Amino acid sequence: MKKSLFQLNTKTVVTIGICAALYGATGFIGVPIGPDTSLRPAIALLAIFGALFGPVVGFTAGFIGHVLTDLLTSGMVWWGWALGSALTGAFMGIIYLYKGFDPLAGLVKSKHIGFFAVYGIVGIILSLLFSWWFDITFMGEPSDKLVIQVSLASLSNIAVFVVLGIPAVLGYAKRNRKASNLSVNE
Amino acid sequence: MNRTGSLYEPGNSLFHRLDGAVKLCLFAIWTILTFLFLDLRVFGVMLALGVILLVTAGIPFKRIAFLFWIMIIFTVLNSVFIVLITPTFGTRLTGTNTPLIPLGYNTINAETLFYVLTLSAKYLTLLPITLLCIFTTQPSEFAASLNRIGIPYKIAYAVSIALRYIPELTAEFRSTLHSMQARGMGISKEDGKLMQRFRNLSAVVVPVLQSALHRIDSVTNAMELRGFGTQKRRTWYSGKDMKSLDWMMIGVSVLLFGLGLWLRLKGLGPYWFPF
Repeated sequence: MKKSLFQLNTKTVVTIGICAALYGATGFIGVPIGPDTSLRPAIALLAIFGALFGPVVGFTAGFIGHVLTDLLTSGMVWWGWALGSALTGAFMGIIYLYKGFDPLAGLVKSKHIGFFAVYGIVGIILSLLFSWWFDITFMGEPSDKLVIQVSLASLSNIAVFVVLGIPAVLGYAKRNRKASNLSVNE
Repeated sequence: MNRTGSLYEPGNSLFHRLDGAVKLCLFAIWTILTFLFLDLRVFGVMLALGVILLVTAGIPFKRIAFLFWIMIIFTVLNSVFIVLITPTFGTRLTGTNTPLIPLGYNTINAETLFYVLTLSAKYLTLLPITLLCIFTTQPSEFAASLNRIGIPYKIAYAVSIALRYIPELTAEFRSTLHSMQARGMGISKEDGKLMQRFRNLSAVVVPVLQSALHRIDSVTNAMELRGFGTQKRRTWYSGKDMKSLDWMMIGVSVLLFGLGLWLRLKGLGPYWFPF
C-alpha cells in the first residue's frame, strides 16, 4: 500500500533518517578516479531508496546524508554536490509514482526497469550539471576543470547505478515476490 | 568519533554557551558571505577571525587535525589540478598575462597562481566555522536548534536519527563487508578484476539494505508506541531558552552580514587582484 507522497508519518521520518545514515555510512568508501572525484557505491543506495520509498524520501535522505557525511569526514559542506545528491534521489524516486510498481510486494515489470534506468540516468546528469553550475557561480571554480570532474562523476555514477542500483532493486523485488504466491484476478 | 556519532568536545567557551540555533545562523551567514566574494582580503579577515574563535573555543588540535589535513590535502590537490588543466585561467578574470612557469603545452601565469591562492583561501575560510559548529554542539541539541530556526520537527528528528545511526550502520556495513571477504568476496584490489569487485559489492548491498529495512520497522514501532507525531509541535529534552548573549550574537552577525553585503555591492568587485 502506497501512502500520500508528502505525508510525513513516523515511518517516513525514520526511513529518511536511516536512509541518510546508510548513505553516510557507505559514503566513506570510494575509489578515487579523478581530481577530487571518486566512485562511490552510495549512489546505488539512493536508487534503491528512491524506488522503494519515493522522490520525497530520496531527496531528503540524499541531502541529509550528504551534508552529514561531509560534516563528519571533511569538516565542510559542499552544498552544490549535496543538492546534487538530493536531486538524484528525487529523480530515482519518480518510478515510485508509477501504478503497479511496488518492489516491496515484488511487483516490477520490465517496462518499469526501462523507465527507472532512464529517470536515473537523466537525474544523475541533471544533478551533476546543477553541481557544476553551483560551483562556478558560488565557488568561482574554473569551468574547464569542473567539466572533467563532472563528466567523470556522471560516468562513474551511471556505472554504479546500472551495475549496482538496478540489479539491487530487481533482486529485492524478486525476493519479495517469493513471499507472496497470491495473485489478483482482475 | 564516539558512540553517538558526534565530534562534540565539551568545554565552556563562547561558542559552547551559544544556543545551537544561533550557531546555525552564524554558519549560514558565514557561508553566504564566503559565496559572495572571491577576494583574498575579505577571506584573510574572515580566516583570521575564524582561527581566533577556534583557538578560544579550546578544542584540542589533535581532535581537529584529521579534518584539517583532509582540507589541506583537498585544496592543494584542487589547486594543482586547476593549474595543470587551465594554466592561464587567471587571464580570463584579470585580462593581463604574465607568463611564469613553462609547462610544455602551455605556460602557467602569475594570475592563475594568484587565483588558485584566492580559491584555496575561500575553501579554508569555510573550515573554521564548520569545525566550531560541529565540535561545540551536542547532537541532540543540534536537532532542537534545527527545529528552532524553522525546520519542521519531523525533518529535524530525521536528521537526529541519521546522526544517531551513522556509527552503527557504518559498523554493520564493515562487518558485512568483512564476512563477505572471509568468503572470498572482498572488494579490495586483490579480489579480482573491477567487474568482479563490483559484483562482490552488490552482494554486500542487499543484506545491508535488508537489515536497514528491518531497523526502520523496529524504530518506527518504538517511536509510534511513544506517540511520536501526534502533536503539531514538540519540545526537546536538550532545548534551551535564548539568553541575552544569544540575541547579542544574532545582532552582531546580522550587522556583519549587512557590512559584507554593503562591501560587495558598493566597494569590492567580484574578484580582486593586485596586478
